Amino acid sequence: MVSPEQRAASAPTGERARTIARFLIPKILQCLFVIWATYTVAFLLMHALPGDPVLAALSLRGGDATSTDPAELDALRARYGLDGPLWQQYLTGFFGLFVGDFGTSIATGEPVIAMVGRAFPHTAAVAVFALVVGFVCALAFTVWAYIARPAWMRDVVTQIPPLGIAIPAFLTGLVLISVFSFGLGWFPASGTSGFASIVLPGITLALPTGAIFFQVFSAAVFDAGASPFVLTANAKGLAQRTVVTRHVLRNALLPSITIIGLQIGYLAGGTAVVETVFSRDGIGRLTVDAVLARDINVVMGVVVVVASVYAVVTLIVDGLYGVIDPRTRTRLLRGKVSAR
Amino acid sequence: MTHPRPRAARRIALPALAGLAVLTLAGCAGGAEPAAAPDADLAQEIVFALKEDPTCLDPQQTSVTTSLIVGRQIADSLLDQDPDTGEIVPWLASDWEASDDLTSYSFTLRDGVTFSDGTALTSDVVAANFDAIVGLGASASLAGGYLAGYTGTEIADEKTFTVTFSAPNVQFQQGATTMSLGILSAETVAAPAEARCQSVVGTGPFVLESYVPNSAVELVGRDGYDWASELREHEGDAYLDAISFPIIAEPSVRTGGLESGEYDVIQDVPYVDEARFGTDAYRLYAKANPGVPNSLVLNTTRGPLADEAVRQAISKALDREQINLLAGSLSGSAPTSVLTSSTPGYTDLGDVLAYDLDAAQELLEDAGWTLGDDGIYEKAGQPLTLTVTAFYAQDVLEAAQIQLREAGIDLQLKMVSAGDFFGAIASGDYDAVGAALTRTDPDALRTLLSSASSSRWGIVEDAELEALLQEQAQTADPDARQELVDDIQRIVAERAYVIPTLETVQLHASRAGVEGITFDSASRLHLYDTQVVSR
Repeated sequence: MVSPEQRAASAPTGERARTIARFLIPKILQCLFVIWATYTVAFLLMHALPGDPVLAALSLRGGDATSTDPAELDALRARYGLDGPLWQQYLTGFFGLFVGDFGTSIATGEPVIAMVGRAFPHTAAVAVFALVVGFVCALAFTVWAYIARPAWMRDVVTQIPPLGIAIPAFLTGLVLISVFSFGLGWFPASGTSGFASIVLPGITLALPTGAIFFQVFSAAVFDAGASPFVLTANAKGLAQRTVVTRHVLRNALLPSITIIGLQIGYLAGGTAVVETVFSRDGIGRLTVDAVLARDINVVMGVVVVVASVYAVVTLIVDGLYGVIDPRTRTRLLRGKVSAR
Repeated sequence: MTHPRPRAARRIALPALAGLAVLTLAGCAGGAEPAAAPDADLAQEIVFALKEDPTCLDPQQTSVTTSLIVGRQIADSLLDQDPDTGEIVPWLASDWEASDDLTSYSFTLRDGVTFSDGTALTSDVVAANFDAIVGLGASASLAGGYLAGYTGTEIADEKTFTVTFSAPNVQFQQGATTMSLGILSAETVAAPAEARCQSVVGTGPFVLESYVPNSAVELVGRDGYDWASELREHEGDAYLDAISFPIIAEPSVRTGGLESGEYDVIQDVPYVDEARFGTDAYRLYAKANPGVPNSLVLNTTRGPLADEAVRQAISKALDREQINLLAGSLSGSAPTSVLTSSTPGYTDLGDVLAYDLDAAQELLEDAGWTLGDDGIYEKAGQPLTLTVTAFYAQDVLEAAQIQLREAGIDLQLKMVSAGDFFGAIASGDYDAVGAALTRTDPDALRTLLSSASSSRWGIVEDAELEALLQEQAQTADPDARQELVDDIQRIVAERAYVIPTLETVQLHASRAGVEGITFDSASRLHLYDTQVVSR
């Protein structure tokens, strides 16, 4: 009996590449479809919103002196490419994306690519921090809950992480600022300069992120823990640590990877509340401001970037299944083998 | 962000201790006049937390307070106006004269003024500024309004020029004191509107170092500044070497940061927090916006508001003292005219705007309205209801709503975004709009109500008022104009075209160790005399 691993290794390199391509190409197409569909739906939604984008943009800087002179408004509409029929605006905008032209913000006059380019690293820094902290904490709590004795202790431990998602980020953020910025002075309350400015918003976002990780992770771990192979491992006298790391956690990894993909998508969208509380320039705040100002070009730019991140992460996660899960690998190759 | 070391040390201390220290130091300073020169041992740098992204730094394009607070430090104006007396004094122009018919204004520029890029201030640059404003159109609507009827700038020589208008323009002289007509460098005004929003060069005491949208604006003091207006407290360079303006949208973070010492000055203290900063450890800066106070500005061409009795009844049913108590600043007062008390030309009409519920109901009953079962007046089966469209100050409108409900008048609120508000103005589809119009001249009422005004809010058909509004805009003699402005205010208040609700107060706060923050006539800030007297 030849094991699937051996069979995979023995397949010629060309075969192997073709297998991978057959696995990946539909997923890449799916990924492009997601970006296109998101763009189209967002475009239609923005145009379905009531209100005049030019007036909304003008009122941002015009305040109580905003002009409502129809001739002047028409001139501005033409200048920002908002005067043609809808399909024309759609096509111009969509094909612009392929040459890297995201247009200009109507509200601020800045190129959209510059605005998104400036905000994205700030959001990414906090997202990565939140993801790492959230993941590590969820892991720690899961292991703690798994090994905690007696049973009531385990119940208490499993009840702690859900608090992270139950408390609104707005409140967590303000409490953290009061204590660690205004009280102790350890971290700045605002801004995007340096690592210190990432810590508090990162923790604020790590709480809900970690809570979700924990839910998925602990369910998978307890599931695995109750399975026969763990019973066997325990029965043959393996140390608790070995059982947890080699058998339980490894098997609980797959659902966690799925949820990481979703979490990255959520965090890449930026979380406007956290960015507002911590006065950070980021994707979330950019989006909220742009939607309020009917700043179509900026909204479309953000949508494309976030949709791309989301799609790429999903693609990577799908790819990782193939690497991590022997079952997925086998299924692919077996399909190949029987076709031959 | 770099913080001077002494303050970093203080940030570590407990806020209570910091508060005590500031109290002690404030005791020494005792709120005296600013010292002749700042203390050399103290870093002359402040952190001033803004409430929102300025979006556009160009003072000619924006009329948003936050942006103007920054722009005022970068750009100087031809003239300056004393906020207390309304008197107009020289600034970048050493001398000026208006023609009798107000269609031309001649200026002589002060010698030796340069922009921060090193170029000299000349007649050509000023002409280029005004030409550019007119060219900006809707992007510079406030500045463009001051230049209404602009036909050009005739340059006599390098330092003298004449600005001409096709029709009398009374507001230009006052407009020339505002930052909307602040003078920017030739290179700045030649740039496209969008680029000017990000970077401006002026002759002001501070220079723009950097602007990162949604993050911060950094200004540094300019060396060799020597043309402050006589209204400032000192001459020469500004006391401060640098001002950092972080953008802090969340009010509780601004107030908390002021208490902890992270910020030296904060913009827009919420009125509910005003008492908290009334102690010796802080200074509060409060001034009512000039212009038309927060008001219901009515469309008199439709619904029950066409009836003068109804309008008057609404005005009398509002207890403005109570609204001020509920939704206003402790430093503010109830409006007593259709111009705020801080506006030049203001006339006290407290008698017309007095609260009188009985008189209000009598007016309605005399006009044929009867109280329905639901406590709302009705006439011919139609209830007395009106909708006000607004994009801010919901609390003020809610207070008015409660008071009118007691009088039997149903006020519905329609809160919309700023863009939709102006969309309503453009279409004229509203019973009333709720907003204030900030201007430093009584001509604000013409902008608001004249049928010839391109962006009027109040829809009024009143030939007598229209004639007065046009006449005051063409009257050069201050006394004669004041009489016209008095008449206008009385007509607008008595016929209740504009129903004031609240005088909006600009309320800022600093720690006691920062002195010399002053308001200009538009209730925006000058930081030229500001200095750090203690850490």
